[in-house]
Amino acid sequence: MRFTADRVSGTLFLALGLALYFLIIPNYVESVTDGNISPDMMPNSLSLILALCGALLVFKPTLHSTQTMRSFAITAAYVFILTAGIYAMSLFGFVYVGPAVALAIMLMIGERRPIWLVAGVVAMPALIWFLVVQVLGRALP
Amino acid sequence: MVDLSIILAGFSDAFSLTNLLFVLFGVVLGQFVGAVPGIGPIMAMAIAIPFTFALSPIVAISFLVGVNKGGLVGGAVPAILMNTPGTPDAAATALDGYPLAKQGKPLKATKMALFSSITGDTFSDIVLITVSAPLAVLALKMGPIEIAALMIFTFSVLAGLMGSSLIKGLIAAVLGLLVACIGSDPENFTPRLIFGYWDLFDGLPLPSVAIGVLAISEILHRMSESFGRVRPAIEFVESDDPDQDRVTWAEYWGCRFTMLRGAVIGTILGALPGIGSTAAAFMSYAFAKASSKDPSSFGKGNLHGIAASESANSAVMGANLIPLLTLGIPGSVGAALIVSAFMIHGMQPGPLLFENQGRLVYGLFGAMLMANFLNLWVGQIGLRLWVKVVSAPESIIFSSALLLCFVGVAMATSGLFGVAIMLIFAVLGYLLSSFGYSLVIFIIAFFLGPRFEKSIAQSLALTNGDLTQAYQSPVAVALLILSVVSFFWFLKRNAAVEKEQNS
Amino acid sequence: MPIKSKLLALAATAMIAMISPSLAADWKPDGPLKIQIGFGAGGSTDTMGRVLANEMEKQTGWTIVVENKPGAGGVAMFTGISQMPANGKTIGMGVSIPVMVQLVQRGDQLPFDLDSFDYLGTVAKAELALVASKDAPFDDLEGMVAYAKEKSTMPVAIMAPPQILMMKQTMKTTDAKFDLVTADGGAEVMKLILGGQVLAGFGSGEQLPYLESGDMKVIASANQSRLSYAPDAKTFIESGVNAYVEPVFFLAARKGTDPAAVAAIAAAIDAAVQSPAVAKIVKNATNGSPLNMGTDGTRKMMFDGLDNAKILFAQ
Repeated sequence: MRFTADRVSGTLFLALGLALYFLIIPNYVESVTDGNISPDMMPNSLSLILALCGALLVFKPTLHSTQTMRSFAITAAYVFILTAGIYAMSLFGFVYVGPAVALAIMLMIGERRPIWLVAGVVAMPALIWFLVVQVLGRALP
Repeated sequence: MVDLSIILAGFSDAFSLTNLLFVLFGVVLGQFVGAVPGIGPIMAMAIAIPFTFALSPIVAISFLVGVNKGGLVGGAVPAILMNTPGTPDAAATALDGYPLAKQGKPLKATKMALFSSITGDTFSDIVLITVSAPLAVLALKMGPIEIAALMIFTFSVLAGLMGSSLIKGLIAAVLGLLVACIGSDPENFTPRLIFGYWDLFDGLPLPSVAIGVLAISEILHRMSESFGRVRPAIEFVESDDPDQDRVTWAEYWGCRFTMLRGAVIGTILGALPGIGSTAAAFMSYAFAKASSKDPSSFGKGNLHGIAASESANSAVMGANLIPLLTLGIPGSVGAALIVSAFMIHGMQPGPLLFENQGRLVYGLFGAMLMANFLNLWVGQIGLRLWVKVVSAPESIIFSSALLLCFVGVAMATSGLFGVAIMLIFAVLGYLLSSFGYSLVIFIIAFFLGPRFEKSIAQSLALTNGDLTQAYQSPVAVALLILSVVSFFWFLKRNAAVEKEQNS
Repeated sequence: MPIKSKLLALAATAMIAMISPSLAADWKPDGPLKIQIGFGAGGSTDTMGRVLANEMEKQTGWTIVVENKPGAGGVAMFTGISQMPANGKTIGMGVSIPVMVQLVQRGDQLPFDLDSFDYLGTVAKAELALVASKDAPFDDLEGMVAYAKEKSTMPVAIMAPPQILMMKQTMKTTDAKFDLVTADGGAEVMKLILGGQVLAGFGSGEQLPYLESGDMKVIASANQSRLSYAPDAKTFIESGVNAYVEPVFFLAARKGTDPAAVAAIAAAIDAAVQSPAVAKIVKNATNGSPLNMGTDGTRKMMFDGLDNAKILFAQ
């Protein structure tokens, strides 16, 4: 991965900066007639600096290398579980989804000992429920 | 001014047994709740306020002071033990705290944080109690132009944290500032880059971004490393050396200048509303690193790093009360919560507070001092407990931390929407750090961005659109010169460290 | 204590009976009643909302959960409420003016209008004042305008969009020029005035201790009528500038909520607003007295206010 990590991220930031400047900011920032600093001044100048820095990085990358692809894939799997968890929580609520998310994560990390699984999947969510709903009188997501 | 008898009456109100118990309860609650990943010190206060409705004013405020101060200590715990700071200011503590904990010295690291936090806190409390009135007048003279210059100075100090690549440091900062642009613009209140989500109108919720970028992204890294293998979240290294688990007097005393500098920086920035503990913690850290004889040892478990950050961010809270009590201006979210508690109990912070409610104010001061002692004492026990908790297997620690962050962020923001933003920023933070961009710079830029843009807009309005008029303010000129000098000085120091490491 | 709460419950029931004799007497929320506050923790709306909720809970025995939903001065929260089922489980508390300003300026981008809600009542009215440092060489709006003309321009600190519009109206009417310094809330306006960076600015209560201590003086009332605590200061309208804002703290639920639920919740709010605890917090936050316009009064206030805002703020 020598030299390439910075080139990849530099290209991305170059593209992001240009996209912001030409597409996103003109469409999602209102213009005003008066005032001292227009709403798009700050984002516009920042997006140009971002694009410039991205370009510079492509030409002058450092020796930085990222972790392996396998590690990225594993993280993607965890992120998928968490995303699905948030979506499911919006449908069924924390009380049902929280333990399921905890179970999935613990199994993925490799936990197989029943006592720890029970502690993480049953005891911990129950404790959170007790503290938030019973003690604090607030609602769980 | 204020009668001695009123001062004495105030202190004697504070030192009653009921009050002592409530401060103790507050400190325990603050340390505990503040340390839970995803909840943090501000949330601890917000949770505690409704419980004070039924209490008498002095007890209620003492209790909240306890929660607040306990929270300051508690906030450092997840940063040090798990590298998952819940607030941006605790991220500075994690820089050296976590490496030290990983070397098998979690107790030493957390205790150093406790001692320097209380040192900084006590320093700023004493400043508050003795010279708050003149300091408040000075703070008032810092107008938008001076504040803008101070922000520029803060950004220049970031150069001290840039690491090897200036370009990548700059990208991290620009990205943080760009993300901070989301929300209403600071002058005309037009919605900016909110894509139809009105929840974003006031900006991205700080807890979502901070916890996502700093805590969850770290948990993602660690989970991907430990996939399929269960280890304890933190390893104890067995050793016969008793000094491993404690901070010796020599170590504490060796950090005295670092802590003093941190406390002074924290007190000054805390007295200026709106700058906040994040800038203080990192400024103190950058100065400690740059002035050290061995800067390359920073980031690898140097006690000075912990001392610098904790003394500064704790000093901010006491100093925040300077503009709050004398002028009625809250300097931070935590301070705004204290004002709300004051209002509930019929106190009106401002110029007449000392005259009208002197007894209550001195009661508050008494409670603050009492809370500092209790914090020290409770901390000694509490930290052992936390270190034990964190030595449980990673599987349960990470899954529980994630659930707690979900619940905590949902409570602190607008429900699951805030949680979704947290996850987005967790992924962003994960990718940024994988590709070698500094998350710390990103988060400071994000945090300071809106204030910076606002003070620029204000300065433009005040100078009729001509910023060159800033030369009329000696303070602004001095700060700007200082910014240029420190920027290049930090860059030179960085280059020197780099060279030393390569050879 | 039990006797007291029983008495209060009785009083609340009597209230309900008075307001709507046939409905509501038996309605109570199925599960906790959620009050969403359109501002962040620690402000005056939040503080008043929490005290109100606490009082309602004590009087009715319902479980009440308070949540903060900040964003655009309540617009984010009301956007959420307008998308929820009308089941009487969630109500919102916000301030009238910011909602009206967004409805006037970008109503097409919002998923709701004033007809999307059933109005439950109000808690208080905020008094908005233009104040100046005691050393300012003017005492009323005309004087300030003259001073600005003499100096060619003058900085004024503002903290929200309606105040920008009021100052623009002033500039249009008088031809004076003001530089508007946008501050982050009333406390920062006070800081700018005390620090001498600006001479005048708007305050919605934060100025009160300084008026008492003599560090500041009232220049004009930005409300429709004069201020309760400074009856000598003229309003903008009296000074020849046809503009005013009248911010009211109000509560509303999704349109189509069961009328029995609306009546019961409105009655609970009314009883709580009359309690000493709410009076105390309203006094501390706004220097005024609690004010409940009732369901119909609140609805009328919102619709009339929007019509007025359309005239004032449409450019």
